[in-house]
Amino acid sequence: MSPQLSEQPRFRISMRFCAKLILAVTLLLWMIPEVYMVSVALRPSDAAFEPQLITWPMTLDNFITVIRDNPLWMFFGNSLLVTTATVIIVLAFASTFAFASSILKLRGTTFLFTSLLTTLMMPVASIVLPIAILLKSFGWISTYQGLIMPYAALGIPYAIAIIKNFMDESPRDLFEAAVIDGCTTWQMFCHVAIPLIKPTIIFVAVWQFIVTWNEFFLALVVMTESSHKTVTLVPMQYSGMYMANPAALFAILVIIAVPLLVLYTFVQKYFVAGLLSGAVKG
Amino acid sequence: MVTTPGHASAGKRHKRRLTLHYGYVFPAVVMFVLFVAYPILWVIGESLRGSSSSHRSDFVGLNHYWQLFQDPVFWQVLLNMFLWGLITIPVQMVVGGTIAYLIETYTTRSKTFFRVMFFLPVITSVSVVSIVWSQMYAPYYGIIQQYAKAVGVQLTTSPLGDPNLVIYALIVVNIWQWTGFSMIMYVAGLTNIPTELWDAAKIDGAHGWKLATRVIIPLLTPVTRSLLLLGVIGTLQTFPIVYLMSDGGPDHASEIFGTYIFKQGFVIGDIGYASALSTVTLIIALALSMIQIVAFGARLNPNRESLV
Repeated sequence: MSPQLSEQPRFRISMRFCAKLILAVTLLLWMIPEVYMVSVALRPSDAAFEPQLITWPMTLDNFITVIRDNPLWMFFGNSLLVTTATVIIVLAFASTFAFASSILKLRGTTFLFTSLLTTLMMPVASIVLPIAILLKSFGWISTYQGLIMPYAALGIPYAIAIIKNFMDESPRDLFEAAVIDGCTTWQMFCHVAIPLIKPTIIFVAVWQFIVTWNEFFLALVVMTESSHKTVTLVPMQYSGMYMANPAALFAILVIIAVPLLVLYTFVQKYFVAGLLSGAVKG
Repeated sequence: MVTTPGHASAGKRHKRRLTLHYGYVFPAVVMFVLFVAYPILWVIGESLRGSSSSHRSDFVGLNHYWQLFQDPVFWQVLLNMFLWGLITIPVQMVVGGTIAYLIETYTTRSKTFFRVMFFLPVITSVSVVSIVWSQMYAPYYGIIQQYAKAVGVQLTTSPLGDPNLVIYALIVVNIWQWTGFSMIMYVAGLTNIPTELWDAAKIDGAHGWKLATRVIIPLLTPVTRSLLLLGVIGTLQTFPIVYLMSDGGPDHASEIFGTYIFKQGFVIGDIGYASALSTVTLIIALALSMIQIVAFGARLNPNRESLV
């Protein structure tokens, strides 16, 4: 509240109210594409081309049609399998590496870590061609591992960086006590290191899940057969088929987009907490 | 050093254990070598060799690169990428930063709500986003045309079909999708400013604009640097929005590295030329990252002293 304004109580405007108003209006504008997506999906097909944000009446017919006519569950299955496997591999390989580097202080890991970090500065576009050719020589085109392995490889360096930071800061005497108690290295990893970094693991898992689920470029190049396509490729596949019926196409878009949005609202607490805790400790 | 047999076996055991320890490092390194290091060396190698399959093994030196520099599409790509970064990065920072500031300073119960809602575009699949926006841009039935008409701008074609507008139309979509990411990063940065610092600044009489420019923005510099670094890499990563909405057209007007590499490598099948393009993309990405890291001490994680 600025002093000039408070001198005239009648016209006093709460800054708090103004800020919330600005946020609300911005949010309304920002949500137009999302609202439009849902709105078109809920239209009878003859109203799909109406140039309005929202039209009446609404119907669920499009959802029934597209679910009945298309094997959407298959694409979800593919995405779920590829994404889950990628997240597990990333977490496993990144946490063991971080453990060796920051707890075991293994010689050479600093150099390896620095090399791995170049991955973070590298656009996927520049290596998509060799990856495709490599996968072809493995016979991995249109296979799940053909997508899981490169996804994991590209995700591991970022995961290592985050997990390593947390391990670097974890109390060393815990590990020394474990050694004195006669723990093997593996026991130390499972029973001391992993429980310590649990919040970080959740953060990495959420972010890796989102990124993998939505990845497009590699999926386009690797999954050429329809039976193995992941959900990000589905809109493209159907946009031709439903050209004249955008209401049905948009129902597919909603079906694809909504699960991840719902998932995020459930896990956002952990995600934001992970993001924030980075600095609380640093 | 003199070692007794007992010591030797202990040393051996120690050595074996050390070797075993490399088992923790091994999987990550194998993945890196196979899917990152090898591909990088491969594109550099292929960029120096012949194009057609019958001449693939011929060494052609820098021919592909000369060809590239004489290719007007390549310069269009560079221009588009430059525009893309120049517009998206600052706009996302300013809008995302302002939203984060308003959320963190003025909301209490609705804090989580706003944080989640502004982040939703980031997690909406880019292929979904592309189709929704294409429809919104469409002539006659697209709602953007309708809104433009309301403010007196008459469009008869989709901006995606106009060579002069297409890149800006795509940039708008990209900004819409990724501003939430800048917002969440600034939220983290703001939350981590110690409360005493806020209070001290307020007691000193800093509020409003002065508080923002003199206290908050400087304190958020690490976040800004991280967003710059991520923004540059993100710009060079761009692919799905352009591929799905304009495919680099009309007539290469919105061509970017991703789409041009895809066309040369996967559609035309000119491996040598696509590799030269890939190598140039790599060099630009690494050079720009290094410049930022050396010049401003940019980091991927704003909360750290080291790079990440």
